Amino acid sequence: MDFRLTQDQIDLRDAVRDYLAGEHGPEVLRRLDVEGGRDAALWQGLIGMGLGGLLVAEAHGGLGLGLVEAALVAVELGRANVSEPIADTALVAAPLLPAAHQAAIAAGTLKVALAHPVNPWIADLAGADLVLAGGTTVAPPASPTPLDSVDPLRRLYAPLPAVADDDALLERAALITAAQLIGAAEQMLTLATDYAKTREQFGQPIGGFQAIKHHLATVAVKLEFARPLLWRAAWALEQGHARAALHVSHAKVAATDTAVLAAETAIQVHGAMGYTYEVDLHFWMKRGWALAGAWGDRAFHQHRLAAAVLDGDMTLDPDATFASDILLQAS
Amino acid sequence: MELTYTPEQNAFRAEVRAWMAAHVPAEPLKTLEGREGFDQHVAWERTLASGNWGMVTWPEAYGGRGLDLIRWLIFEEEYYRAGAPLRANQNGIFLLGPTIMEYGTEAQKARFLTPMARGEVMWAQAWSEPNAGSDMAAIRSRAVRDGDDYVISGQKTWSSRAAFADWCFGIFRTDPDSKRHKGLSFILVPLDAPGVTIRPIRQLHGETGFAEIFFDEVRVPVANRIAGEGEGWNVAMATAGFERGLMLRSPARFQAAARRLVDLYRAHADTAPLGAREAVLQAWMDAQAYALNTYAVAATVMAGGHIGAEASLNKIFWSELDRAAHRTAMSLMGARAELRTLENSTANAWQEGYIFSLSGPIYAGSNEIQRNIIAERLLGLPR
Repeated sequence: MDFRLTQDQIDLRDAVRDYLAGEHGPEVLRRLDVEGGRDAALWQGLIGMGLGGLLVAEAHGGLGLGLVEAALVAVELGRANVSEPIADTALVAAPLLPAAHQAAIAAGTLKVALAHPVNPWIADLAGADLVLAGGTTVAPPASPTPLDSVDPLRRLYAPLPAVADDDALLERAALITAAQLIGAAEQMLTLATDYAKTREQFGQPIGGFQAIKHHLATVAVKLEFARPLLWRAAWALEQGHARAALHVSHAKVAATDTAVLAAETAIQVHGAMGYTYEVDLHFWMKRGWALAGAWGDRAFHQHRLAAAVLDGDMTLDPDATFASDILLQAS
Repeated sequence: MELTYTPEQNAFRAEVRAWMAAHVPAEPLKTLEGREGFDQHVAWERTLASGNWGMVTWPEAYGGRGLDLIRWLIFEEEYYRAGAPLRANQNGIFLLGPTIMEYGTEAQKARFLTPMARGEVMWAQAWSEPNAGSDMAAIRSRAVRDGDDYVISGQKTWSSRAAFADWCFGIFRTDPDSKRHKGLSFILVPLDAPGVTIRPIRQLHGETGFAEIFFDEVRVPVANRIAGEGEGWNVAMATAGFERGLMLRSPARFQAAARRLVDLYRAHADTAPLGAREAVLQAWMDAQAYALNTYAVAATVMAGGHIGAEASLNKIFWSELDRAAHRTAMSLMGARAELRTLENSTANAWQEGYIFSLSGPIYAGSNEIQRNIIAERLLGLPR
């Protein structure tokens, strides 16, 4: 029992964070917002970092890492507000696809869109080479119908008809979405804290006032206790634990609540500036909003938890916190 | 990251579970905040000590078992799972004990730790003063050096269980010209010493769970000082870290409460308020989150890391989840929440718990102070 990230995991996280801080700053978000669409150079940069093959076996040109590493990277994608479909393609779809597809994903030559009945849309359907739907792959439609997201950098399309359920896809995608929500929340706390240090009123930085301090501290508390839920979910899902789906739901609800609190707090701390399109904060606030509903909204995951915890016959003993004794049935 | 218990850890859990099943009192004890209940809890401390469970993380030389923090967490999980009583000596074993372990001399460890682990000496905390609450650096109680003694005069307040305890630990101003955080020393005082007067204070629930302590030229040897003269603030902050952080409120306590809350919800599901279902689920989720975070902190400490201002994150989380969980229990009980004694002549434990939970966001440094600490030391906002 050692609930710490390994040094390799920390090094991976820091490398991705540093890369994105240098190559994917807010100016990129503003440019993408004006230009629209996706950016081949950004995609190639992410592939060059090795993110395409993160979950792909070394024999197929990948790094052969697991879901804890994938979640760590997804936190950084959320922090940088990356919109390229790297999370869906590499962190969610890759391990669910045949080896040849995995090798292509590692090489950056295959983009995958994810279709699932839980979502009333498909992200990045235009530009996708394949669609993962109902446990199989299908060709993307020739001319998908675009939908309009509140997030100016999301690219959503009308769902495909009659896509079958796919639990493996749902759990993985919900986990990676929760991770991105955590990253977005961390970035919003950073933006609001930085603003509070520099914005002066009454002759001093507003961050010196307790009303501001207490708002931001409350977000820090929320984040501190959401992160370990993410690591447990990633670990349990990787190991195939019976309760992995519940852990994913718990992580997703906590990440959602954290991102919503971080967004509302950050806007409030920014004052009227926070209500403008000119301040970059809105990109993260809208991403958080979008991801809160993606891959099972708060109600979906709460109901799953409540059915097990309140209505089910699941043991609530403390030794079940990390329980691994019952494995998921192979699907 | 390795989130699996070893076979040895599982065997340890089984050992604790079996011992608790054989020894935990079948009938709940009276409240720890009153004289009769306190004595019952002290008797339980001695039973625990007879099984060598007084403080499992301490070295065997001081009455412990020399176990690591993961096993301490397992012990606590089984302790609260079994419905074992609250710890009468929590100020001693969870706060002063770790402080002496870190700052005490070998002689002080031998003298104070073993009787603490054996349940023989009960401790109270003597920090707050009438004009030094959240602003603890405003302490005025003096300890004047006189040869090999200190002569202590002043007044402490909100001292939990001082009316029943044997000793207290506190910080006193040893440099009369000092201001604020400087010139304070951490001193241990027997409560039966000449010049000590205890005035019990009734708490919200009506019991005299805390007290004022008056010191009128109380003479204690210099050997009762922990760490150097004038170093009291730093020692106290370390103690406060133990209080807010890892030890005082182990997650097992909240996990057990959440589990009881789920049972309460199931028994009252038909009449539950609209929000109760979500609130019960949230209580269970938060207790889980607190447990996970504690496992992460324990792993960090075991690897040589320290808990700093992060302890403030912890203190806010456990105190607010505890209050919310008990508030939810009150809402599930409906009009019966008012009754102090329930139909089967047992005390309304949820009511006692709710009242106690209201103190959580205040003691160990109010949550407003904790939020200041987080903002200033973790987020780097201006003081």
